[in-house]
Amino acid sequence: MPASPWWRIGWRNLGRNSRRTVLTATGLAVGYWSVVVITGMADGLVADMVRTATGILSGQVQAHAPEYLPDRTLYETIGGAEGTDVPALLHAVEAEPGVLGAAPRVYAGGLVSSGATTVGVLLLGVDPAREDSVSRLAAALVEGRLPTPGARELLIGRELARQLDVAPGGELVVVAPAADGSLGNDLFRVSGLYATGIAELDAGTAVGPLAAIQELLALAPGRVHEIAIRIGDPWAAPGMADSLTRRLSAAGAGPIAVRPWTTFRPELVDYANLSSGSMWIVVLIVFAMAVFGVANTLLMTTFERRREFALLLALGATPGGIVRAVLAEAVALGVISILLGVAITVPVLVWWHHDPIDLSRLFGDFTMAGALVRPVLRTDYPLSMCFYAAGALLLTALLAALYPAYRATRVPPADTLAGR
Amino acid sequence: MRALLACVLGALLAAPLAAQRTAREIVDHVDRMLRGSSSRGEITMEVVTAHWQRSMDLAIWSLGTEYALIRITAPSKDAGTATLKAGTEIWNYLPRVDRVIKLPSSLMGQAWMGSHFTNDDLVKESRIIEDYDIAIGYEGARDGVAVWEFVLTPKPDAAVIWGRIEEQVRREDMMPTWAKYYDERGELSRTITFSEFRRLGGRLVPAVMTVVPTDKPDERTVIRYRNLEFDIKLTPSFFSLRQLRSGAE
Amino acid sequence: MMWRGPLLLRLAWRNVRRQARRSALTAAAMVVGLALLVMSRSIADGAHDEWIAAGVRLGSGHLAVQAPDFRTRHAIEQHLSADDRAAVEAVLADSAVAPHLAAVAPRLEITALASAPAAAVPVAVIGVDPAREPAFSEMDQRVVEGRYLEPGDHLQAFVGVELATRLRLRLGDRLVLTASGPDGTISDQLVRVVGTFRTAIPEVDQGLIHIPLPTAQAWLGVDGVTTIAVLLDRSWDTDRWVARLRHALASRADRVVVLSWRAASPELDAAVRMDDYGDYVFHGILFVIIALAIVNTVLMSVLYRTREFGVIRALGLRRRDTAMLVMIEGLILTGISGLVGLLLGLAVTWGFFHDGLDLTALMGDQMTAAGAVIDPVFVPQFRVIQLVQSAVSVIIIGIVASLYPAWRATRIDMAEAMKFEA
Repeated sequence: MPASPWWRIGWRNLGRNSRRTVLTATGLAVGYWSVVVITGMADGLVADMVRTATGILSGQVQAHAPEYLPDRTLYETIGGAEGTDVPALLHAVEAEPGVLGAAPRVYAGGLVSSGATTVGVLLLGVDPAREDSVSRLAAALVEGRLPTPGARELLIGRELARQLDVAPGGELVVVAPAADGSLGNDLFRVSGLYATGIAELDAGTAVGPLAAIQELLALAPGRVHEIAIRIGDPWAAPGMADSLTRRLSAAGAGPIAVRPWTTFRPELVDYANLSSGSMWIVVLIVFAMAVFGVANTLLMTTFERRREFALLLALGATPGGIVRAVLAEAVALGVISILLGVAITVPVLVWWHHDPIDLSRLFGDFTMAGALVRPVLRTDYPLSMCFYAAGALLLTALLAALYPAYRATRVPPADTLAGR
Repeated sequence: MRALLACVLGALLAAPLAAQRTAREIVDHVDRMLRGSSSRGEITMEVVTAHWQRSMDLAIWSLGTEYALIRITAPSKDAGTATLKAGTEIWNYLPRVDRVIKLPSSLMGQAWMGSHFTNDDLVKESRIIEDYDIAIGYEGARDGVAVWEFVLTPKPDAAVIWGRIEEQVRREDMMPTWAKYYDERGELSRTITFSEFRRLGGRLVPAVMTVVPTDKPDERTVIRYRNLEFDIKLTPSFFSLRQLRSGAE
Repeated sequence: MMWRGPLLLRLAWRNVRRQARRSALTAAAMVVGLALLVMSRSIADGAHDEWIAAGVRLGSGHLAVQAPDFRTRHAIEQHLSADDRAAVEAVLADSAVAPHLAAVAPRLEITALASAPAAAVPVAVIGVDPAREPAFSEMDQRVVEGRYLEPGDHLQAFVGVELATRLRLRLGDRLVLTASGPDGTISDQLVRVVGTFRTAIPEVDQGLIHIPLPTAQAWLGVDGVTTIAVLLDRSWDTDRWVARLRHALASRADRVVVLSWRAASPELDAAVRMDDYGDYVFHGILFVIIALAIVNTVLMSVLYRTREFGVIRALGLRRRDTAMLVMIEGLILTGISGLVGLLLGLAVTWGFFHDGLDLTALMGDQMTAAGAVIDPVFVPQFRVIQLVQSAVSVIIIGIVASLYPAWRATRIDMAEAMKFEA
């Protein structure tokens, strides 16, 4: 086949009709670009939404004592009443490939009071140094600073601060039923305020250093309720949860339940589905237009080429030969176009992945499905779509080229040459 | 005023006339028995839960149904912690941080000091005879003791949560022996048993009350009166935030 | 100089008709492009409007009329007096206003403690007008057990299904609500469960109770309401109506404020803007492809017209006339394509209109987003302004694209063009 003259004829045709080749290839390449980039944007948007929603606080994977959820009682700490070796557990979690960070937490219902105003809140004890590798609480800081490890300091939501009428530096009484039955109470100083845009967090949560909150709740340092884990690819969470469960039970951490965000944030799965659903409509429409544009351009050229085919027939070419020549030409054109398409697509994907289009000046930041969203359009790499789009456009090019060639072989050459 | 009158009448009429009383009057009498127009008492409260058990000594002052002050006197870790009820407001004093905090109405449902009582139990004015229709469900001997068993059914519009309360009262001395609280479907929700009937502050009272939530039969709160005085000199001004903080007797 | 307009027009028309295949292909690019643009925009608009409607039904409507500080403090002290409420309702009942309103719902919103033997939990209680509320929040369509409130109800309560589970309540069970009134006194109110509902939004199903408005008012000693929620027939009219109501209520501006859903539910506003911005970007890209398809098709046809242009010139048409001829051809094609594309787009979309575009298979029966339940059936919606925008932009692309061939036609080297094959 390499020696076949039809390949050479097909190839040479491309070079001879350079303007036509450039136009067609450009059309194909731009079609390819649009389909791949728009899919990348759609994927990126959904992944980003999930990342944002889980990245505020929850993390993408969480480990608890098996009985901790759904009641979240104070006593159900990892490893039971004796607690566990928290640093070793964190170490084991972080040894799992794909884990980007892990942070221990305790939770308790309690009251914070500025005296005249008392508000029921969720008290959250965190390791400020580790928290940064999992959640973006630090990024939501709007005033003051993070609590100092070990100090009796609280980071509270801006809305809660408004209700309590306190500012950073102010004192709050924190009261919570402790694990020994006593009424834990202590004075905490407000170290800073955060604003996530999520009502429950901004108005109903107070964050303090792990050790200080554990002391308030009469929990030993080895007793934590949760290990929150951040991973790179949100869609890998379920698999990661499984392998972490195996790893941790093998490491002897005792009974432990590891859950991915798809389990503890089911509404987020719904939203991701809706997003991808409506984006698929857009992708389909764009795809339809791209394929149509390519087919249209190719048909335009090939109809005009019947004369050329007729000439070849008159010169003694067989119909099969012509079809093969056209096929060769279309394949060559398709390959060139797709190479061109890839050449203009990949840099844009990489560019928009690392330096996404920032529309926040147009839209401002906002929350959505409990997630703070920065309106940037970070594209993902839609690998499968890269191949589907290439296949679909190549097929379009072939069909659009073959049909007129086939028609041409059915027409007596003399008629075509004589007439139009 | 009406409460005061009822109390005085209650003291005058005492046991001999019990037989002639209506069910309503007996239940009302039992309801007010531990209260008086004003009172001062010392109590030991023992709370047992699945996770811990602890015992606290409390000092209590009350004036009518409007005012109450409860202060923890032992263990020393919690001593001085106090709760003030004035009207429908509840304030807590925390000696460790030397601060007074006010509880919002949305938190009234929380357990008081980890017990099986809620803040709401402290605040709600007792309106048993206003809120319930009272009937005698059983009258006769139980284990050789003559008793009444009353059935309290809430009036149609009464803002109470129980579907029904049953209360057993001994005929002989008008002492309650138990009260059972049912939900609307007739399922038992909690049981209070009364025992150790003793004379305290000049009245015969059940010195021990035990509360057991039905869904957690291993848990309980036991209240034991160590001493009790009735109708002492107290004025509303006693129930002040200053008094809440002071810790003074 | 002789004006050859009529001649050129006839010539152009004949060219368009005689070169049927080429015309058809060029037109097809525009027709399909415009049709797709119309389709995707009307579907996006429909989804959008549905989303907003679903969101505002669970919130305080497209428009909320409240006392000035209620939104931020959410305290019952900040309620509209009976007099202010009557004034607002009078404005809303005006014959020029009423037909544009889908629903008006006066509500008294209360933060309360709900107690049952099993537990006591903080809840949001809304006193509603049972006659008017269903048209607004459609809670009557979310019944799990029992029924929604009806006019004449007194102690009936419509309770979130998760809340009922937590308090172990069944139909007919009693429930005590405790809250502080405007003067700070705490009062209790008995209600009985008449129905339970599921909205699929956890916070709502776990913590919302509807009771009749008169019961709520009597309970806390309030004669007014906290919010008059208004649902419009079209969400995009919101800003105009806000301005109009503000104007009508200007004399009470210190006691009565009119908020749009954007101000009242910033989360929903954010979600909608997010959707908007996705739409902008996607339509931008779609538009670029359409433009390229059209330009590409037109350019391709020009390549094959070199010879034809040569013939025209040889027949004695001047450069300017040749250009004019090609331009007129472009205009004819673009005009027809624009019209056909618009009709095709409308027709195809109309096909979806009755049932909507059903994404149920893709997403399950219903789902929540930004606190709003969304029915995954998108009913397309047409807005004249969008149709006109789409059509005009496609026609402009068509005209701009035919400028190039017109320019090329003037640059023809006659001798070269007349050679056998280009």
